Amino acid sequence: MARLAAVLRALALAFRRDQKSFQSVIGNNFFFISVYLLRSAGAFVYVIIGLVLLFPMSTDPLRKIPVSRLALWPLETRERWLLRAISPWINPLTWVLAALALWAVYGTFSKQLWALAAGLFASSFLISSFTGRAALRPSQGMWRRVPSFPGPLNQLIRKNVREMLSTLDVYCALLLSLSAIVYRAIGRQVPREAYLAITVLVVLALSSYAQCLFGLDGEGGLARYKLLPLRGWQILAAKDVAFLLITILLACALAPLAGIGAALVALALGHATSVQQPRAQIRWRFSTGASLMLGFGQAILMAMAAWNIFSGAWWVILLCAAACAVSVCWYGRRMEQASACE
Amino acid sequence: MISCRNLTRSFGEFTAVNGLTFDVSAGAICAFLGPNGAGKSTTVKMLTGLLAPSSGEARVCRLNVAEHPLEVKKRIGVLPEDLGLFDDLTVEEHLLLTGNVYGVDRHETRSRTNQLLHALTLEHGRDTFAASCSHGMRKKTAFAMALLPNPQVLFLDEPFEAIDPVTSKIMRDILVSIARRGVTVFFTSHILSVVETIATQLVMIRKGEIVWNSPAGELPQSLEQHYFDLVEAPVVEELEWLGSRRS
Repeated sequence: MARLAAVLRALALAFRRDQKSFQSVIGNNFFFISVYLLRSAGAFVYVIIGLVLLFPMSTDPLRKIPVSRLALWPLETRERWLLRAISPWINPLTWVLAALALWAVYGTFSKQLWALAAGLFASSFLISSFTGRAALRPSQGMWRRVPSFPGPLNQLIRKNVREMLSTLDVYCALLLSLSAIVYRAIGRQVPREAYLAITVLVVLALSSYAQCLFGLDGEGGLARYKLLPLRGWQILAAKDVAFLLITILLACALAPLAGIGAALVALALGHATSVQQPRAQIRWRFSTGASLMLGFGQAILMAMAAWNIFSGAWWVILLCAAACAVSVCWYGRRMEQASACE
Repeated sequence: MISCRNLTRSFGEFTAVNGLTFDVSAGAICAFLGPNGAGKSTTVKMLTGLLAPSSGEARVCRLNVAEHPLEVKKRIGVLPEDLGLFDDLTVEEHLLLTGNVYGVDRHETRSRTNQLLHALTLEHGRDTFAASCSHGMRKKTAFAMALLPNPQVLFLDEPFEAIDPVTSKIMRDILVSIARRGVTVFFTSHILSVVETIATQLVMIRKGEIVWNSPAGELPQSLEQHYFDLVEAPVVEELEWLGSRRS
């Protein structure tokens, strides 16, 4: 049993160090604003947000041990079964689900809702358990379909699009965008302004990523940027092009120009933290923004820019583009200086 | 081609590299040897513009690295310690990226990519994402990236470690061949048997200071013995518990 206890202790330590999922959600612009906007909508909305939270947090702690290492350890079959049975309880969500189960049986919590939460937890848990690290890697088929782009930054833009597609932010934005499109397709009458609101929410869902543009490049990628004979602004521009391409794709059926304006604002403000306070991100999680204040600043300015463009003040989009261009040049220069001062 | 004058780099109180002075001429294959933590990678980083020296000067292709980092980067190829690969690009895409950003013509980039993939036996893995590659494949990809722009100087940080014998031989042949055509090669390695076969100049470093710098042919004894004498003698500890019946 001493061996088992040692393994579980190490597992708990590794899991605790890795457990950034909750932090990733609370540091995300979209969740701040959603919680604020939906504060009066009742408990159901919070349950939905809770379920969304649940998905990335429901990982199997045992995946922290490399498969080959686990196989090499001299554990008996009984110890392996015990490890399998006990290790899920290292994840606090297992305890939460157990408490909810008791509440559903003896209290007022809906059994159907518990089943939904348990199902979501189990699916995410099993996916992480069976696929291990492979789940964090890009899937070969889907990633290959990212098209080439013209110009010398082609492969960098392609890589940046793939990085963005491996964050949950994009899929959250896609869900919003598709909901609006489906609503329109079934012929429901929607006020024109509603499309603006959805567009702002779509860009808001992506805006935290704009604060951590280098978060998925890893140490190797960051080292390569320093070796490439590229100016800082070129590296940032490749990031921005990927961000704008995804924004345009998601907002094209809503309010595209307002979306582009909002995205340019998000990028103009996000470059500062992307360059000066780079934060490593985890694939298949929501992006973690750098600061609450910056998030609110982004949200307010994005909404203002989008509203003005939507109201016919077309020149605002030029202003947004100019602000983004200045930011790219300024922080591109800062990147070069930082690289030279290391 | 490479010139260092009193090159020094400190991290707080700790001096990793202390007053290095040496030259490497065009077409030379210079092996930079030393134990782990001696300052080899720090020196390579300073020579390639990844790290600014605390004092002293490094020149590559007659350009001051600290003053003209971009111009230097256009002339060199680097295999960095951490390989510098992007998880979201395939092996082939890494090479195409290199051609694009170094201004190599598109058709030429394709042609060189195919040749390098073939030469380094990477063809079967050309569509594999870097994140899914073995360490050896990743190293070969980084090596191919260093070669593709046809650099004047190559900096290779431990190129032969974790490489299969056949590819190691191919890489050595490529280095010898390009050095004959005037390309300068500066590499670090712990595999002394490989160093002996290709190096034309040897620089040994211990605790951040040069302890030996000469043409390879001027060694007074075998490279291994000379390394043990000057850099670090192996100390064999008797680990008595190994092999005993106590668990």
